[in-house]
Amino acid sequence: MVGKIFEELKTSLAGFDLHEASYEQNGYHLTVDAQKGNILDVAGFFKSRAYYLEDMCCVDYLDYLEIVYFFNRYSELCRVKVTLKIEPGKPVAPTISHIYTMARWYEREIHEFFGVYFDGHPNLTYLFLHEGIDLYPLRKKAVPVSDESKKLLNSYNPQEEEDAFFVNLGPQHPSTHGVLRVVVKMDGEYIISAEPVLGYLHRMHEKMAENRSYLQFLPNPARIDYPGALFFNLAHVATVEKLCGIEVPERAQYVRTITCELNRIASHLLWLGAFPADLGALTPFMYAFDDREQILDILEDVTGSRLTYCYFRFGGLYNDVDDTFIDKTKNFIKRMRGRFSMYEKLITGNVIFVNRAKGTGIFEQAEVTKYGCTGPLVRSTGISFDIRKTEPYAVYDQVDFEVPVGTTGDNMDRYLVRIAEMEMSLRIIEQAIAKLPSGPFKAEKVPKKLKPPKGDIYYAVESSRGETGVYLVSDESDTPYRMRWRVPSFSNLMTFPALAEGTLLADAIATLGSYDIVVPEIDR
Amino acid sequence: MNEFIDKILGIVGWEAIITIIGLVGVLVVVVVNALILTWAERKVSGHIQRRIGPKEVGPFGLLQPIADTIKLIAKELLTPKNVEKPLYFLAPVIVFIPVMVSFVVIPFDARLQVKDINVGILVILAFSSLSVLSILLAGWGSNNKFSLIGSVRSVAQNIAYEIPLLLALLSVVLMANSLSLKDIVEAQKGVWYIFLQPIAFLVFFIAGVAETNRTPFDLPEAESELVAGFHTEYSGMRFALFFLAEYTNMFIICAITTTFFLGGYQGPILPGFVWFFGKTYLLVFVILWFRWTFPRVRFDQLLNFSWKLLIPVSLLNLIITGGILKL
Repeated sequence: MVGKIFEELKTSLAGFDLHEASYEQNGYHLTVDAQKGNILDVAGFFKSRAYYLEDMCCVDYLDYLEIVYFFNRYSELCRVKVTLKIEPGKPVAPTISHIYTMARWYEREIHEFFGVYFDGHPNLTYLFLHEGIDLYPLRKKAVPVSDESKKLLNSYNPQEEEDAFFVNLGPQHPSTHGVLRVVVKMDGEYIISAEPVLGYLHRMHEKMAENRSYLQFLPNPARIDYPGALFFNLAHVATVEKLCGIEVPERAQYVRTITCELNRIASHLLWLGAFPADLGALTPFMYAFDDREQILDILEDVTGSRLTYCYFRFGGLYNDVDDTFIDKTKNFIKRMRGRFSMYEKLITGNVIFVNRAKGTGIFEQAEVTKYGCTGPLVRSTGISFDIRKTEPYAVYDQVDFEVPVGTTGDNMDRYLVRIAEMEMSLRIIEQAIAKLPSGPFKAEKVPKKLKPPKGDIYYAVESSRGETGVYLVSDESDTPYRMRWRVPSFSNLMTFPALAEGTLLADAIATLGSYDIVVPEIDR
Repeated sequence: MNEFIDKILGIVGWEAIITIIGLVGVLVVVVVNALILTWAERKVSGHIQRRIGPKEVGPFGLLQPIADTIKLIAKELLTPKNVEKPLYFLAPVIVFIPVMVSFVVIPFDARLQVKDINVGILVILAFSSLSVLSILLAGWGSNNKFSLIGSVRSVAQNIAYEIPLLLALLSVVLMANSLSLKDIVEAQKGVWYIFLQPIAFLVFFIAGVAETNRTPFDLPEAESELVAGFHTEYSGMRFALFFLAEYTNMFIICAITTTFFLGGYQGPILPGFVWFFGKTYLLVFVILWFRWTFPRVRFDQLLNFSWKLLIPVSLLNLIITGGILKL
């Protein structure tokens, strides 16, 4: 099937510098070397073929800066890496933000980290960094901030207008789940426009990765997304394993699957508590936390921590699971199955809840590719897209599960999709436990100091919020040359301005709650 | 000495003395009631949420409200920089006056009533409408956008819900043929009005919950949207006054419901005031129950519910009641 898409792409993109890549080795199928003159054509071509902008980042190769675009599609896996080389002296690139809305934020990010100026970008202000910064942090050599960039340092500064007023939702606000700030322009109770302002929790994990060995960076990913720490842990570990060609024993793969799915349920339960709280119901929070507590206890036994897990190691696990873990997990599955009917009665059937969630925050299926959203947000629109199915990692290809999808893409659908996902996770855990083989839990002879071969790789896992990808460039040293994190909440939040526009304030809060955003993940 | 007392009585009259004693009694009831309700709310919410609520201060945490009160009194009265000072100071005081007045006319027992006014229910409704004024003042005076949105919401909500409140009571007034609360209670000697006027009861209770700004109608302070609504900028004792008023309002709504629909102080064996407080606190529990199990309605849903459902239903109920009584 992939072959057919290739042929089609090859004929349609005949004029471009096209190379085939090894998916097994690099994680993408095709590379396109674009030029400044034709990058818009390339982007337009992929947009017309329903490709979404999976990721966009920049790598500093000293001689030149390379902007990397990843295009992928929801229906069938076909990841295309498009590169655009620009000179480092005065880096200017054309913007693709009018084709892919999501590029607005990616381009702002590249601008502040690398100093690349994007021609025609509507609002090229700093996204994460503060006003006092005087260098481009991800450039390999110190480059002073250009005068053009200095003008753009000032972040979003709204002007008061007649018949409208601005409200700052956040950074301190009960329902922005951390330190997200949304500047909302309102006309009475109705929202005219909403603009998220990021960077309050920015820690520059991507730069930290460049200064640490692969092993030293191991605890960091868990801090990027704290409710789904294991997914990020796995994304980092598995990327390096694939690049170095480390074989992971089967038992470790099974345990990875089980613990990841437990983490998924825990993460969804956290959301299940927070979402009704955004709608004004505070009690479900306590019930969801009670269930979540059981998972934390189980995971604490094997991983040693309750929130920011660092359980996976290159080539396996930190330690093996024992029978107590299996028993506890089995008990939890039994308990959790009974709880779903309770949630159904208390939340799903509540008239006020249904009235609030149904028909609000509708995300149209046609809009999806513009933003490149993933996870429950995109599944609620009816697109069955799940990395666990399209690119099975660990042992997801050996267990039987379905991808729950919604129909209309409203808040209710996102709620129902997540509830169904939790049930599906229980099914996966059950099967994985039944099949759990004995054997070693760690690969032998994994060197302490990993020096992956020269090359780059894109590797993605499905976290509880969507596609979590790592783009890793190695230069054969023991630290990554560039480690780029593609996080799901970032592209999911981008849809918020469009969804909030014209709605009531209460609906916008509900929509924001239904995304299940994690701010440290967005800011990295 | 006796002469002196006689002299004073000659000037102010017995009635005035009784009223003053009654007012002092009302003040005590208001404060004690608020203390009980804060404790009850925390305890009820605790048990609904699989917790046990306060338990450290005193037996079963009974002294917790007193500890809280001391904390609130001891706190510095912060005044934010840009507030409209007169309005900001006045709002918490004004919120408290109407709720005190309402207590005067409520018959707690056959002979336990500060003053039986022949337009008693009008007094309560007139003064309870005043509380929205103080919310508006608080919202405007705070000079905070969240407060302003909250107070504007509150005004729209109170206008919308006062009408069904009144219409529901009118059908009872028609049946009892009196506006005096005591007469209405006496008219329920045989059968309580909840059985004769179930629709009016439901409409009144729902509108009453909305009047007191409790969940699911707590839009003026909707914490997930407006941080704390109209009292975002208030702290310390000023905040405590809003808090006190909210709990007292809740009690009054339940007391009126008891008086109009549940036979007031009437009941067998036990003394009247036991029945009265028993029925009232049962209703209070129902309101607490609402708060900890329901999400919040949206603003347009809230108004639609009143204008499109409660008002037509209560109007129809009033017409039917009138028609039947005429026949």
